[in-house]
Amino acid sequence: MSRDAILGRVREALSVKTDPHVREVAEKSSHSLPVLANGPDGRTQAVKEFLPFVGDSLEDHIAAFKILSDKLQTEFIVVPTIEAARQAIEQMREQHQWERIGIHDHELVQSCVDHLKVEFTNTSSNYSTSELEKCDVGISGCDALIAQTASALVTNHSAGGRALSVLPPHHVVVAESSQMVTTMADGFAIIREKHNEKWPSFISFITGPSRTADIERILVLGAHGPKKLTIIMISA
Amino acid sequence: MSQSTNPFTQFQTDADRVTADDDRRRFLRTSLRGYQSTRTATQNRFLDYESARIAASDAKWEAIENLDIYLAQFADKLEARGATVHWCNDSEEARNAILEIIKKHDAKSVIKSKCMTTEEIHLNQLLEKEGFEVVESDLGEFIVQLRDEAPYHFVFPAMHLKKEEINTLFQEKLKSINTNDPEELTMVAREVLRQKYLSADIGISGANFGVAETGMISITENEGNARLTTALPKVHISLMGIEKIIPRLEDLALLLPILATAGTGQHLTCYNSQLGGPRQEDESDGPIEMHVVLLDNHRTRLLADPEQRDALRCIRCGACLNVCPIFKNVGGHTYGTTYQGPIGSVITPHLRGLKDWKHLSHSSSLCGACTETCPVKIDLHHHLLRNRRNAAGKGQGGIAERLLMLGFTVVMRRPWLYRLAGSLGKVGHVLTKPIHGTRIDPFYAWKKTRDLDDPAKQSFRQYWRARK
Repeated sequence: MSRDAILGRVREALSVKTDPHVREVAEKSSHSLPVLANGPDGRTQAVKEFLPFVGDSLEDHIAAFKILSDKLQTEFIVVPTIEAARQAIEQMREQHQWERIGIHDHELVQSCVDHLKVEFTNTSSNYSTSELEKCDVGISGCDALIAQTASALVTNHSAGGRALSVLPPHHVVVAESSQMVTTMADGFAIIREKHNEKWPSFISFITGPSRTADIERILVLGAHGPKKLTIIMISA
Repeated sequence: MSQSTNPFTQFQTDADRVTADDDRRRFLRTSLRGYQSTRTATQNRFLDYESARIAASDAKWEAIENLDIYLAQFADKLEARGATVHWCNDSEEARNAILEIIKKHDAKSVIKSKCMTTEEIHLNQLLEKEGFEVVESDLGEFIVQLRDEAPYHFVFPAMHLKKEEINTLFQEKLKSINTNDPEELTMVAREVLRQKYLSADIGISGANFGVAETGMISITENEGNARLTTALPKVHISLMGIEKIIPRLEDLALLLPILATAGTGQHLTCYNSQLGGPRQEDESDGPIEMHVVLLDNHRTRLLADPEQRDALRCIRCGACLNVCPIFKNVGGHTYGTTYQGPIGSVITPHLRGLKDWKHLSHSSSLCGACTETCPVKIDLHHHLLRNRRNAAGKGQGGIAERLLMLGFTVVMRRPWLYRLAGSLGKVGHVLTKPIHGTRIDPFYAWKKTRDLDDPAKQSFRQYWRARK
């Protein structure tokens, strides 16, 4: 009922064409625009051509990811092998004295933590939120790393649900260098292909540890989500 | 904020008070300067910011000019994934829809992440009246909620407060330790709110975008509070205005960096999440129900205006507030609106009536800083002019304004009368000198903030004649 009423009003409103003058003002530009493909493809193209340049090669992407990570206070570690990733995680366990770790069914994650002598909370099937809340860290996989924004792209499939990557005070992402892509549009394309129209109910670009500047614009990490974000990338 | 009945009187009273507070204005300006320099640096990293801006503007144009198609597609896709979509004509319908869901689940407590649309429909007041505990989880919103205030700025809700004031507030309301350190203050709020997340039955969020193609809402945030709000409680309700629609998922790849750059000067905010439906069969957590409440509340009235419908493309980044000389001087609360600053002055007359809100379009220097900074190229300062024109055209200036303009026309069309008025004015000015600056001067209100110089000894006509 209200649906028809609202859509009816929208249609009626749109039956009068937008004042061409207003449209023109909005599109006016001081310089000539590069030619873009019509419609949506043009916008995907825009992300590549207008947003910050991060190069084309993997080395360029890693370098760009590193620079932004430093700025965001994300700990970005590149290791040569899975074995090295295991060691890095072991070191972190010692340093931060982890006792309980949140994980999920994910090949890479499992092979990085199976040697740790700690308690595990697995979020891949029904789990208790209060138990996850007591974890010192959540370790998850991801779908892609975005070079242009230094983000980890996750879904509830690649990151063990919605809460594992946000409830514990430290989030560790384990990824492979083959997962590095240039733009957020490339990230969406990966999810589009992987889930083939059966979308996960949760997708998120994680860009640095949780933060706020609501008090006098002074940056504080760990407002509600993790105070610390570590991204471990295993280069092939 | 004074709550007088007439928005115009309230605006004038509050503007007078705030502009006199030099200390607070300096504080505000310093804060906005910080924003400006961060934003400029981030914008400069773009290969071609101007073109990115036009492409972003284009995505929103496409959505708004085909809103009937995209809105229906958005709702159908969402419902196919198990979410419930509620279509609400006005605030009351939206409030009732939300209240019904909460009652159905026999909920006790509600956790909210930042959502200006819930401010627009005055949701908290209703829920509290009905006996539910409603907690704002965004730090800034949490602070202003504790102070029983409206947000000062729709992106930085507590930007008007100093850390000392927040310390006092937390000690008083939360019995917290005495500290002026922003980090410690943030941790106090974190601890308090943690418990609320774990016990809340309902999570209410807003939506920055609604993706028509896939039936998802997109939420932009830094703190992680929206992620917790949409992950832990068993029911998730999202309230969004119908204008938030965008055509395709990939449009986000452009709009999200643009929103962050213009909004806070970040290249991307910390969490940008897309949510489509409740927990699915093969998923291990998430709410068992997801409700999306779509709100019109006179947005279609703005859409029906072929000159000003582009204001619906607004992505609520708040950049126009940050650069506005009026906002910097009168502050956010003075507007008396949900949406402050230039964009608020443009859309509020459409959403709540031109008659009561036309004064906002007059409190503008027409400098155009808002239009220049707008990431989706909304023609803001011309819309302020259009609002003025529309108000004048409808004779909403009142009898006094009409008589004045009538008198002006009569005089201006008759040179002899103009000359006479000029001389009389001079005499009048001299004769009324003793009452200048006093309240019995009929022009007291106008002159209070302006200097009226003595008229020149020689008029231009006299000068011209003498020159010949």
